[in-house]
Amino acid sequence: MLLAFVWLAPLAGGILLWTFGPQLRSWAGPIGSALVGASFLATCALWGSATVPGGLHVPLVSWLGGWNFGLQLDRLSLVWSLIIAGVGFLIHVYSIGYMDGDRAFARFFAYMNFFVFAMLTLVLSDNVIGLLIGWGLVGLASYFLIGFWFDRPSAVAAARKAFVMNVIGDVGMMFAIFLIVAKLGTIGYADVFAAAGHALDSGTVFLICVGLFIGCAAKSAQVPLHTWLPDAMEGPTPVSALIHAATMVTAGVYLIARFAPLWSASPEAREMAGVIGGLTAVSGAVLGCVQWDIKRILAYSTMSQIGYMIMGVGVGAFTGGVFHFLTHAFFKAQLFLGAGIIIHALANEQDVRRMGGLRTRMPFAFGAMLVGVLAICGVPGFSGFFSKDDVIYGTLASGHPWLYAVGVLTAGITAYYMLRLLFITFFGAYRGDVEAAALGITAQTSGPSTAGHHAQEEEPHHHAPAGLMNVPVAVLMLPTIFIGWLDFGEGSPWKRFFHSFPGFDAAVTTAAMPELASTGVVLAVVAAGFALAYARYGTPAALRDAVTRLRNETLGTPPILVHAYYFDAAYEAIFARSARALGGCFDRVVDPHVIDAGVREVAISAEWLGHLLRSFQTGLVRTYALGVVFGVACFVAYYALAFGVSR
Amino acid sequence: MIVAPENYVALSAVLFTIGVVGVIARRNPLIMLMSIELLFNAANLALVTYARAWVNNVGHIFAFLVITVAAAEAAIGLAIVAVTFRNLPHVDADDAAVLKG
Repeated sequence: MLLAFVWLAPLAGGILLWTFGPQLRSWAGPIGSALVGASFLATCALWGSATVPGGLHVPLVSWLGGWNFGLQLDRLSLVWSLIIAGVGFLIHVYSIGYMDGDRAFARFFAYMNFFVFAMLTLVLSDNVIGLLIGWGLVGLASYFLIGFWFDRPSAVAAARKAFVMNVIGDVGMMFAIFLIVAKLGTIGYADVFAAAGHALDSGTVFLICVGLFIGCAAKSAQVPLHTWLPDAMEGPTPVSALIHAATMVTAGVYLIARFAPLWSASPEAREMAGVIGGLTAVSGAVLGCVQWDIKRILAYSTMSQIGYMIMGVGVGAFTGGVFHFLTHAFFKAQLFLGAGIIIHALANEQDVRRMGGLRTRMPFAFGAMLVGVLAICGVPGFSGFFSKDDVIYGTLASGHPWLYAVGVLTAGITAYYMLRLLFITFFGAYRGDVEAAALGITAQTSGPSTAGHHAQEEEPHHHAPAGLMNVPVAVLMLPTIFIGWLDFGEGSPWKRFFHSFPGFDAAVTTAAMPELASTGVVLAVVAAGFALAYARYGTPAALRDAVTRLRNETLGTPPILVHAYYFDAAYEAIFARSARALGGCFDRVVDPHVIDAGVREVAISAEWLGHLLRSFQTGLVRTYALGVVFGVACFVAYYALAFGVSR
Repeated sequence: MIVAPENYVALSAVLFTIGVVGVIARRNPLIMLMSIELLFNAANLALVTYARAWVNNVGHIFAFLVITVAAAEAAIGLAIVAVTFRNLPHVDADDAAVLKG
């Protein structure tokens, strides 16, 4: 019953705020936050019953005989639920400050509560259908929240893009579920995994995993379905923190971890996930180096970090991948909320070139961002260090030296672009009053859909961030720094937590080098990244003529990176243009010459038939009488011929 | 003297044909009504002939029914003709062709 409360409390909040939002006014925020907080406390209270083997299971309805829908809280969904409701609660509280004064304050919280409900549906479902429903609902919530400021054309376009991309993933997942139902005839996880071992051949398992991975790639922004995530930053910053960093985009990691028994049975699928995860990690990180919009930097870094997680669960390092999700949820939420404080205080300025020197003006935001940067870069002692190390070493331990190299390289790039962000934003002199051209900012070089729109939806107002916004960030700092110690050493609490979780015990080959040596390599590369960033942005000389340097860098960025490897252009050329061509063809040929012409032909033939029949209607009595006579004559002739005169 | 039924039937056919031609060929509605009466009575003659020939009274009874209907038809028909042609200059059935399609 308590589990149903965990699940439904945010839904109740969503409905309440949606229905009575205008009446509740500023109470909408506290009410929405309280319900998510209650959901979090209830989840905590269920810790004991969730950690028994098999977890807590609550059947809800049985449908069509043998299709049992229910809720399930085991160790994996417990981790996710705690993050969704816990980080979700903090971000709700933060939003009370951030969204203060917005016209649609209540609508924002209604959507946010709805998102939390949808995400809980996804992770608490005990069957594949419920998973798919939750999967679709989070996509819908994401669509609502990206397009929250629906009077901005760029936000609407970004929302539509995200939705279309996500539907591609939904279709892939649906095929996987069709396969499961067709081959196994059951939808519950437990039944599926029990039957999968003997009822499925390896080809089918591979196909199911491919279908699941398409869903996972779309939701978790993996190459080549990643292009929606940077644009999704059009949504309010708390949305970026909760949905597009901490929870929804990591649903792909959950999916692979949840179906671990299937993935463990298909080395080819794991290989595919590992390679694509690695590719996403490195390509996202590279793009993070050339962005100027603070949220887009973080978006590409999210993409890159999820690439790590997918790579981890892909190569079979499930505990490592899931742990990276856990730490990432904290430090990335922290980074986004810190960025939100800056954006809020600078009246919606998001271009880091227009920032600078904010260290003294906003010491708290600086502290928050610094902690987040140290965590994401994997500085020893901070949370990201432990989880990233786990993932990177996992690639080596499972015998993927190339992925290991990619992971190490990405760690170095991550260190570079995060420190670059920190230096440009917080050090040197404030550049908000430098004219745009001097910094090389033109409509062309700023991202395709960001800068220039931000100041429109609200009156520009400089104001100090409310204490309400600082408290959640301060709370998030604790896990950002310390939670990594859960996974310290062999036999750590985290590894024991997932010990003997179904499917997590993937085959581990002997690694090419001991873990400590691997950690040393990673740290050396990270230090190199730091050094490079310091040399380019942090030295006193660089800070002095930052304006010239930023201008030169803006103008000197290779076009391929400015256009994010031309993915958008390629999709435009291949899919959008051909779809438009097809539409034009229908417009010019099919519609006028087939559909319209068909309708016209029906009308013309009806008219022709009418003309024919009109000629019989002379209005003269004798014509009608003749008709009667003719008819009678026909009758007589028929009977005469048919029956004859027998005599 | 007994006249064979075939003769009556032939007479009936002749009367019917005259009636049909009258209805179709004439344009005076009164003549047309009279021709219709001829049709009725041709039918009556046939009915009575067969009733006698087959010794079955149903034909007789039906003939009475036809006579009744014919009387009613004549009354209604004449009324329609009177009303219709009150507003027309000539009594000509072809002038009343307002239902032409």
